[in-house]
Amino acid sequence: MTAVATAAPPRLDGPRRFARQFFRMPTAIAGLTILVLFAVLALTAPLYIHASDLDVTKATGGQMAAPGHGYLLGTDQPGRSVLLLLIWGTRESLAIGLLATLLAMVVGSAVGLLAGHYQRFVGRALMHVTDWFIALPSLPLAISLAAVLGQGATSLTIAIAVTSWTSTARLVRAQTLAVEARPFIERARALGAGNVQIMVRHVLPNVAPLILVSSTLTVAGAILSEATLTFLGLGNPTDVSWGTMINQALTTSAVSRGAWWYYLPPGIAIVIVVLGFTMTGRAVEHILNPRMANR
Amino acid sequence: MTDALAAELAADPGAAASAPRWYRSSFWPYLAAKLLGAAISFLVMLVIGFTIFNVMPSDPVATLTRQHPTSPSQMAALRKQLGVDLPVWHRFVNFVGHTLTGNLGDSWQYHQSVGSLITERLWPTVLLIGSATVISVVLGLWLGIRSGWRHGSFFDRASSGVSLVLWSVPTFWLGLILLVIFTTGVGPIPTNLFPAGLMSTPGYSGPWIAHVGDTIHHLILPCLTLVLVIFAQYVTIMRSSIIDELGAPYLLTARAKGLRDDDVRRKHAVPNALLPSVTVIFLQLGTVLAGTITVETVYSWPGLGFLTFQALQIPDLPLLEGTFVVLSGAVIVMNLLADMLYRVLDPRVRAQ
Amino acid sequence: MTFASVTAPDDSTLIVKTKTPQANMPYVSVAPNTTPIVPQHIWESKVKDLKNFRNTDFPVVGYGPWKLVGYKPDQYTTLEVNKDYFEGRAKADRLILEYFKDDDATIAALRSGQISAAWNLPATGYKTLQGLKDLMPYQQIATRWTGVEINPGAKSRTGKPLGTGNPILADPKLRLAMAYAIDRETLVKKVLNGLGTPGVGYVPPAYKQWAWTPASADAITFDLAKANSILDAAGYPKQGAYRVDPKTHKQLAFRLGTHSDDANDQQIAPYLVGWFKSIGIKLTLQPQSMSGLNDNLAKGDWDLLMDGWSTPADPTYLLSIQTCATLPKDDGSGGNTDAFFCDPQYDKLFAEQTQAFDVKQRAAIISQMQDILYKANCDIMFYNNNILWAVRTDKVANFRTGEPDADGSYPIQNLFISWKNATPVGGNSSSNAGLWIGIGIGIVVIVAAGGFFALRRRSTAAERE
Repeated sequence: MTAVATAAPPRLDGPRRFARQFFRMPTAIAGLTILVLFAVLALTAPLYIHASDLDVTKATGGQMAAPGHGYLLGTDQPGRSVLLLLIWGTRESLAIGLLATLLAMVVGSAVGLLAGHYQRFVGRALMHVTDWFIALPSLPLAISLAAVLGQGATSLTIAIAVTSWTSTARLVRAQTLAVEARPFIERARALGAGNVQIMVRHVLPNVAPLILVSSTLTVAGAILSEATLTFLGLGNPTDVSWGTMINQALTTSAVSRGAWWYYLPPGIAIVIVVLGFTMTGRAVEHILNPRMANR
Repeated sequence: MTDALAAELAADPGAAASAPRWYRSSFWPYLAAKLLGAAISFLVMLVIGFTIFNVMPSDPVATLTRQHPTSPSQMAALRKQLGVDLPVWHRFVNFVGHTLTGNLGDSWQYHQSVGSLITERLWPTVLLIGSATVISVVLGLWLGIRSGWRHGSFFDRASSGVSLVLWSVPTFWLGLILLVIFTTGVGPIPTNLFPAGLMSTPGYSGPWIAHVGDTIHHLILPCLTLVLVIFAQYVTIMRSSIIDELGAPYLLTARAKGLRDDDVRRKHAVPNALLPSVTVIFLQLGTVLAGTITVETVYSWPGLGFLTFQALQIPDLPLLEGTFVVLSGAVIVMNLLADMLYRVLDPRVRAQ
Repeated sequence: MTFASVTAPDDSTLIVKTKTPQANMPYVSVAPNTTPIVPQHIWESKVKDLKNFRNTDFPVVGYGPWKLVGYKPDQYTTLEVNKDYFEGRAKADRLILEYFKDDDATIAALRSGQISAAWNLPATGYKTLQGLKDLMPYQQIATRWTGVEINPGAKSRTGKPLGTGNPILADPKLRLAMAYAIDRETLVKKVLNGLGTPGVGYVPPAYKQWAWTPASADAITFDLAKANSILDAAGYPKQGAYRVDPKTHKQLAFRLGTHSDDANDQQIAPYLVGWFKSIGIKLTLQPQSMSGLNDNLAKGDWDLLMDGWSTPADPTYLLSIQTCATLPKDDGSGGNTDAFFCDPQYDKLFAEQTQAFDVKQRAAIISQMQDILYKANCDIMFYNNNILWAVRTDKVANFRTGEPDADGSYPIQNLFISWKNATPVGGNSSSNAGLWIGIGIGIVVIVAAGGFFALRRRSTAAERE
């Protein structure tokens, strides 16, 4: 039953079996394709986008002009190409999402492993700490960090990371408990394995797949959070990210002006990338979790 | 939004496993321990909140008096009145003491007590979140049950797909687009279908029932925005719970007894599958609150989320601290309720 | 205003004697800075302690063609006509002010007919209201300016240096070069969509009596080549992309503070970064909350800050914030300065104009003051943004008053004076208390007793929203 959700923890299939199963699922292929596409866009952008394309003082297009005349997605208020901004924005949006998730993963996994392994005092204390962070609303923290560190990508990344690690921690802890109940751990202990060794060499590999799945979810949430925090005014106007694009579209009345080419694409891009991460995560989870094999 | 993850988050089996036996099986000690934990969490929140807000520049006097020629002695008097000239530890003690006695200070920009502001704005937010949650839960559960029962079918794939896409949409973006579509009218949709914001039409006179109707008219768009973004969570959890139930032996027995498919689903599978969903409703409050801030801002809906956004402006420290306390307090209470509810509803947890 | 004595010899005369001659006393009766007069026999029986009377309970003490009858913070304000108003009863029985947090929502409400008029519309959204049936958008001439202030060396009254401002900025040639590197026309075109005028003088153009333009030899235009040559001549060599200070070999890198909640600041800032890069100066953006920015300003911890002020017809306060008297004390407190500007000649002229009762004479003195400020380049003007209104002609007539000037801008409407003649068109069936006008205000709040307008365009959220 779901109450004892992971009684039989998922074993990581051999990589080839995994890949075969993965590529048999249409949602998995779709998700991965999206991620690869956006990764390529982000990495190759500097090859054809120059600083002058992003500089408002060098913008030569019409002001908030509709698509046409060499501007596939029209222009923004200063006259820059929305398409180029969108592609360049991939870099910062993905960077913030991935970095924040990496931080959250590291912290969350560490806390979860420790809490699951040292069940008594340390474990309970860590879970209490986790509860406090669950209750912490992300917005005030983001405001405060912005005031101290300056508004921009750094404070946003840290604020998002600090409020995202808790779900991973709880998941990892539940999984650690389940893994440690298995006989091979007892065997390892009997053979004299120390705490760290057990955690790192025995538990971690079994927990890793779940961490991977959880991280795809966290990236999705991080990208959405970046957009929201920027909308609320906590970003840096000279940065180019999807969140700042939406923010600037809104403050230059793009919605009232019907400039759909300016305010729709960044939102749609967010939706697509978030979907990409979510679909990939679900696919991986499908494969790893035998209970779901018949879905 | 993955199935197993959602299920994991709803039920934390490890919590019970680490506690001593006698404690697990009796109710009152369990409740007492949980209450104590919640109280400690709340105090820790106060400390964290105070720290967060007091690293920011917190002298509002220059900002507040910018429009009025003010003499230095007047500024000093204002500083004293606002309590910003006290040393940090003194302010912390005041903050904790006052909060615990219910005095949250006075807002710097509204010139009224934070407590009264929060009380004023509480009902609109409760109305918005309440209606959105009820609709999302009903919609999500219905869709989840239907898709889970016949998983793999077109209906299942379509509903999962749609709910997933909607979950991925930034809330404020969706809200603004809906606002413009339904107020100025796009294509076949007529103009002025819904009001462009606020909670009621000012100067609206008429019978009591008309006021209720007016409020509902204003509520529709903000509620719709929230529902669209959050219902996916309930679809997912219910669907995965139902699917888990599908292979259970007792269902086989029920079918062998001759019960119709619908009855098997309604009377046996659903009640058991409901369990994790119930706790998820409480646990998701934090996410819903975050979404409410942006929805209320877009629609000028005068609730706590809007108040929090307003508090950002100077920043209005007492108001920020007050809304922080209320919001994180609400999440702590909801988590506590979720824990208790889960324990009450699931006999197996009690018997462990 | 320093009053020496106030006497009322008869029922309709009030004599105020000031301690020193004050040329701006007549402005006391000009809205919005009106000082209303309430006779003692009226307030005596109702208010026990006048000093501590806050006037926040209904019925409030007020003055004007409408009475405040209802107020829901952040939502709406309801006013009902004052039948005994001395200038005659206003045409509209009720006035409702609705507050919208979001500009797009305001515009949507206008277009759908939910509100009859709106004010302080965003420049970028204004154009969507042109050419629509029944909608009349128009501009009011600017009573404000937006610009950037440069820290010329923050110091206290006694000359003690304050704060972490970059000392290189004390070089007037550097500031002059910066002034040449700003394309005001582009800012008006791109940020204001053309709905404003390039900034020149310190006093906004709304008040023709204080109008001033620099001598043609002194006029600063957008000229990157000239800016570069000024910096070359001043001895700031280029090293890589940016220039360096020859003495310290440090890059010319400065902090530009912006108001994080101000959409125009956010739009202008990237332009500055780009233009200054072309002349070899590096600008790092620091968006801050309002109190954060004001905090840093007062302490002198800034290099460049976005700045903006608006003024009523009497520019005394606006001029005063550039005097040496507003510098803070040695501990950094007690100051009210705008940019730490301090010039004895300016102070002398300021004292002179406070006593110049003849408007032409006062204008001449103020012109000299504007000239000094223009040449100092501590407050560099970007533009004067017009105030943007839109009215639904199918809901209300006679709302707009005055004649447009050559640019099509209407004179300032000091609130209730102009609304007094606004006439509702047609009826509203949902109301049973006569006709009413709903007016939506995008960003501004009116304080109860008679309307009090902030000078600083961006002072507090209460004023903005």
